[in-house]
Amino acid sequence: MELDVRGEVCPYPMMKAVEAMKRLQGAEEVVVVTDHAPCLQTIPPQAPRHGYEVGIEQTGTPEWRITLSPKAGVVKAPS
Amino acid sequence: MATELAARISALSPVRWPSQSIAGAAVLLLAVGFSQVIGATAAVLAPLWLLGMLAGFALQRSRFCFASAFRDLFLFGQSRILNGILMGLLITTLGFALIMYQQVPFPQFGALPAEAHILPVGLSTVIGGVLFGVGMVLAGGCSSGSLYRVGEGYVASGVAVLGMVLGLGLLAYQWNWWWETLVRHEPKIWLAEALPGGYGAAVALTLAGLLAVFIAGLWWETRNGLFMPSVSKEAGDAPDGLGARLAALWRRVFAEGWSPVVGGAVLGVTGLLMYLAYQPFGVTGELSRWAQHATTSLNVGPGVLRGLDSIGGCAARSDEGGVFTATFAITVGLVVGALVAALFAGEFKLRFPRQRRRYAQALLGGLAMGYASGLAIGCTIGAFFSAIPSLAVSGWVFGGSLAGGAWLGVKILQRIP
Repeated sequence: MELDVRGEVCPYPMMKAVEAMKRLQGAEEVVVVTDHAPCLQTIPPQAPRHGYEVGIEQTGTPEWRITLSPKAGVVKAPS
Repeated sequence: MATELAARISALSPVRWPSQSIAGAAVLLLAVGFSQVIGATAAVLAPLWLLGMLAGFALQRSRFCFASAFRDLFLFGQSRILNGILMGLLITTLGFALIMYQQVPFPQFGALPAEAHILPVGLSTVIGGVLFGVGMVLAGGCSSGSLYRVGEGYVASGVAVLGMVLGLGLLAYQWNWWWETLVRHEPKIWLAEALPGGYGAAVALTLAGLLAVFIAGLWWETRNGLFMPSVSKEAGDAPDGLGARLAALWRRVFAEGWSPVVGGAVLGVTGLLMYLAYQPFGVTGELSRWAQHATTSLNVGPGVLRGLDSIGGCAARSDEGGVFTATFAITVGLVVGALVAALFAGEFKLRFPRQRRRYAQALLGGLAMGYASGLAIGCTIGAFFSAIPSLAVSGWVFGGSLAGGAWLGVKILQRIP
């Protein structure tokens, strides 16, 4: 799923990303689209706790796509 | 050379809109030129303006945020930015002690260093801290945070700053009541005077306190299972040759974010230099001055505010006349420095929140912060970041209350989608 949180500032992008990871439980990739640079530091540490890996790609100035992909082996079906 | 450098930089970066860097260079030149204009009013204003810019630059580059330092402890169990604050406090504590020692070599006789932020400590500090903590979480940034985000183009942060000015204005009308009821009865406790060991004991106790907070933060992070994972990014070429190494250095300073510890260190040194040149770092004084100018020019001013000249800190500066004052230099310089940093990094953008309630959050949060910083005589900078190194007990009480307020703010925030 894609979370477009452009225009949102801390802590909403992280709250929404964490919420999505909790809900999906590794069933699906979460892509966070943000123009708020602090997210690059605050979202990644949350990923391993929910069984996700992180990739960051800069897609604009300023815009980033933070890809949270389920770690292999910990994929769980949503309950 | 410059074009070669620019070409190499753009080759390293996947997306590059050089117009922002050109605008950044232009603003930087104008701002440095302006230091000469402001320096004509009083010589000290030129370096203060540049130091304010440096502070804003460091805040933007390290995405420093007092609000998130406290909030993320409760929201995500993260103590990353807190460590940056601790680094800044370590530097300023040692430096402030040296400056204060020059002014008051024998602290046991009851004289306080005039400019240090040793504020009355009591219930007003606690109320101010808690209210400020709630406000900064609601608004998404504290005073310095909202100011530097204005420089990055966050419109809601501008609303928060407006809210702060209104809140400070509102407090002015009620100040005399707070003064008679609470503040005038509250002692200014200065550790260097209160402890039998003088400066040595006060500095040692402060450093021990910082260490204890650091370890508690680390414990809290570990308990919550937090660590920075390796993040896959497009890797640039390893620097080779002078041009490439310069380009890599340029990117590290101007394009990639700094770690909070580096940001905290630069901010600490900046605060120290401000104290050397003039007074400790503070931003509330200028906002309070705007509120005062607005109400008095409309002839609805609050009248005489009792006791302010005996308090010091940010309050003592709010009645300075003229446009170009020390607080102007530091506070407006901070916004301009953040603008320069954001432009060079390609991070400037006018950002409008999509939900209207974010504006209400910013305004209400700002109001709370303004009122609270009037009551506590300073914000996260003046009453905390400059008060702890002043060896004042008020800084610790304000900091603890901020944490309590941030916790409360998180509880409220989680109910606002």
